[in-house]
Amino acid sequence: MISSGEASFEEINQIYQSRIDEINPTINAYITDTISSALDSETNQSNDKMPLAGIPYAVKDIFCTDGIQTTCGSKMLEDFIPPYDATVVKKLKDSGVNLLGKTNMDEFAMGSSNETSFFGEVKNPWDILRTPGGSSGGSAAAVSAGIAPIALGTDTGGSIRQPAAFTGITGLKPTYGRCSRYGMIAFASSLDQAGLLSITAEDAAIFLELMAGFDPNDSTSSPEEVPKYSKFINDNLSGKTVGLPKEFFDGSLEAKYQDLISECIKVYENMGVSFKEISLPNIKYSVPTYYVVAPAECSSNLARYDGIRFGHRSDRTDNLDEFYKSNRQEGFGQEVKRRIITGTYVLSAGYYDAYYLKAQKVRQLINNDFLEAFNDVDAIMGPTTQTSAFKLGEKIDDPVSMYMNDIYTISSNLSGLPAISHPIGFADNLPFGMQIISPHFQEHQLLNFTHKYQLETDWHLQQPEMINEVKK
Amino acid sequence: MSINKSDIEHLCNLSKLKLEEDEKAVFLEQMQSILKMIEELQEVEAEDIIPMAHPLDMTQRLRADEVLETDRRDEYQKNTEHTESGFYKVPKVIE
Repeated sequence: MISSGEASFEEINQIYQSRIDEINPTINAYITDTISSALDSETNQSNDKMPLAGIPYAVKDIFCTDGIQTTCGSKMLEDFIPPYDATVVKKLKDSGVNLLGKTNMDEFAMGSSNETSFFGEVKNPWDILRTPGGSSGGSAAAVSAGIAPIALGTDTGGSIRQPAAFTGITGLKPTYGRCSRYGMIAFASSLDQAGLLSITAEDAAIFLELMAGFDPNDSTSSPEEVPKYSKFINDNLSGKTVGLPKEFFDGSLEAKYQDLISECIKVYENMGVSFKEISLPNIKYSVPTYYVVAPAECSSNLARYDGIRFGHRSDRTDNLDEFYKSNRQEGFGQEVKRRIITGTYVLSAGYYDAYYLKAQKVRQLINNDFLEAFNDVDAIMGPTTQTSAFKLGEKIDDPVSMYMNDIYTISSNLSGLPAISHPIGFADNLPFGMQIISPHFQEHQLLNFTHKYQLETDWHLQQPEMINEVKK
Repeated sequence: MSINKSDIEHLCNLSKLKLEEDEKAVFLEQMQSILKMIEELQEVEAEDIIPMAHPLDMTQRLRADEVLETDRRDEYQKNTEHTESGFYKVPKVIE
């Protein structure tokens, strides 16, 4: 539209600015609104020859943005202004995108409901008494409510896919190492990966091909060539075989969700996809494995927040040891503290072998299950979540119940596999998602499956009523 | 594996955190339920399994020993007011 002269950057910005002003106060999806600064800044005027010239997007507040406040949802970083861009942000900026704002999130990405944010909970646009999921809840709610067409998120245990499922949009977590983690504030470094929350798989494909790839600033980013994902999305699905893990269909899913899954499978079957039951015998240990590995890595990563060079600084004491403790006590919220303490415990002398080393061994077993399954099938499908969006406040005081919410998503992070969630319908007026998992670096297959499904259905185009109600 | 209040206090000290008394009680209860969940791992037979530290089969990448970064100290130090002559200020360490 911009390159053809149908709309100017300013017109698009003004439309989004007024939508954000109308809708954001109700759902709290953005922490920082950057449109007005973009309008003022000549450097943000993209060249219309760029591939994404003027395309508006939102960025989870975990990605460093040069000169723009980056809080990670924490009081610790309330006033932090990074002097550089995260690599994925830089790559998209160089492609011409237009930053609408920084989205709300669980503090340091630790949470599944967006209730641990220092900047307040985000509301689900489909029912504002419910969670949009987390930790990329702000990005998901913004896309779902039409106040961002696409948003960056991160996924450490399901933080893109679960909120995408809860808000009725598409959420892609690429292979570990597919996108650079440079400038993405670290939670659990062997699990974290940047990805996208969008309406369609096609949008995600176009963005991913511009943001993925090796980065000298992240030694764990992959040198594997980046395919033109958008070229693969129309491939024929006929002849593909998909595995349905019997552990995901053990009878625990309520009938109303099982029905949606069955309908979705029928759509794929009509396109020539065949389904077979598979087994991932160690997958039941994913949640306990994750809740050893992730807190261990978190306790190490978050040791850097001492309040000296940046971050919250207390003025309560003149004693150095007390100074560190006060900075961290005041700067971190409950969930972050709980995970640091859990991580410190599983890494401490006498417990390391029993917990951390054991979890790494079980992680290998879970990975082996996937590798074996992919000998027989092209992809794996199952529900993204056990239920649709739960009520705000329902699980926040019971961490284990909150952690169990990630039961279907965590295993692909442990194995580093790419996975996508796409909407497949509604139960009690709340969206529900199907997850597809592929072998490493097969994102094009996930996008291909999802795009073909989205050509046959319109679940991804449904909009929450609140958009219209707020406009009135 | 059980955990008690003094363990919580020890872990707080190791991780440079402080908790109020009422927080300690809540954390203790929550930590007990988290540890009980993690305890499930003990039933897995994994004696000879190689621990998996990283999802991709990668070797450590080394870069050429060239200076790429420029001195941006002044920019980095904008994130705190507590600097002097290019140094960061902390509470007194040596009496």
